[in-house]
Amino acid sequence: MLARLARSVPALCRAVHTPPTSTTAALELIRSQPSHYIIANFVGTKYILTPRDVLTVPRLRDVKVGDVLTLDEIHELGSREYTLRGNPTISPSRVRVQATVVEHTKGKMEFIFKKKRRKGYQKTISHKQPYTRLRIGEIEIPIEPSS
Amino acid sequence: MAAILRGKLRSFPANGHAAFLPQIRKLVFECCDRWASSQNARTFLFTRLVSLARDNPHVEIVIRQRIHREPIVRGFYVNNRDKVIPLNGLSLAEINQKVHLLLDSSGAQIKPLKRRTVESTTQSTRGIWSGLHADRPVL
Repeated sequence: MLARLARSVPALCRAVHTPPTSTTAALELIRSQPSHYIIANFVGTKYILTPRDVLTVPRLRDVKVGDVLTLDEIHELGSREYTLRGNPTISPSRVRVQATVVEHTKGKMEFIFKKKRRKGYQKTISHKQPYTRLRIGEIEIPIEPSS
Repeated sequence: MAAILRGKLRSFPANGHAAFLPQIRKLVFECCDRWASSQNARTFLFTRLVSLARDNPHVEIVIRQRIHREPIVRGFYVNNRDKVIPLNGLSLAEINQKVHLLLDSSGAQIKPLKRRTVESTTQSTRGIWSGLHADRPVL
């Protein structure tokens, strides 16, 4: 009987937590937790991002080092126990995340070796892929949505 | 209670997170006054250097003489590393390109970036699943 009671305690706890009725209530729940993550679309690819991490993407030619970009296509915002999923994206007035362009670099030198045997044809192509690295800023969840 | 190790009580740099500090601090151009290999570098210094300096006020720009040698440009960075690029055999546009390569770089050593999409030091937000702390599965 005690074992049955112990098994039903987690279910009772879950029943106490009613699902939030509005987006504001959901964001309140998420904001109450210490750490957050977002799933954002950046230059056609989705990434799971947290504050302070460095995102490396193929070279963006129209940004300069030091520019601050706002991520406007955020599909999901989550914390340890709660997740808010957009339809398909969350409105930028609800969540604000910025990324700073830290540098434009190139990767390590890659050597592409081509050969056709018995034909006297071989060549080596050396190539360095250019990248842009961005640092993700804080995930801001404003208390009142800005109009 | 776990002991608080003094080595753990340090902050880790995250340039660009709250504030951004440009990583390049000095550009040194070294070229010869007479030799033809420095001709394009000299033209660059006479025509484009002033506007470059105005557009990048955070960079200290120095011109040095390097007689009877090939022209070079040296970039000094905040992480105490420097990058040197020879400028002989390059046209004006190519010299411009190399200078901007130095300005855009952070001074870090070139490393393979193909697979390093997101480099994160944040701990897992949703926590790591543990079989010993999960509900027993019920069929």
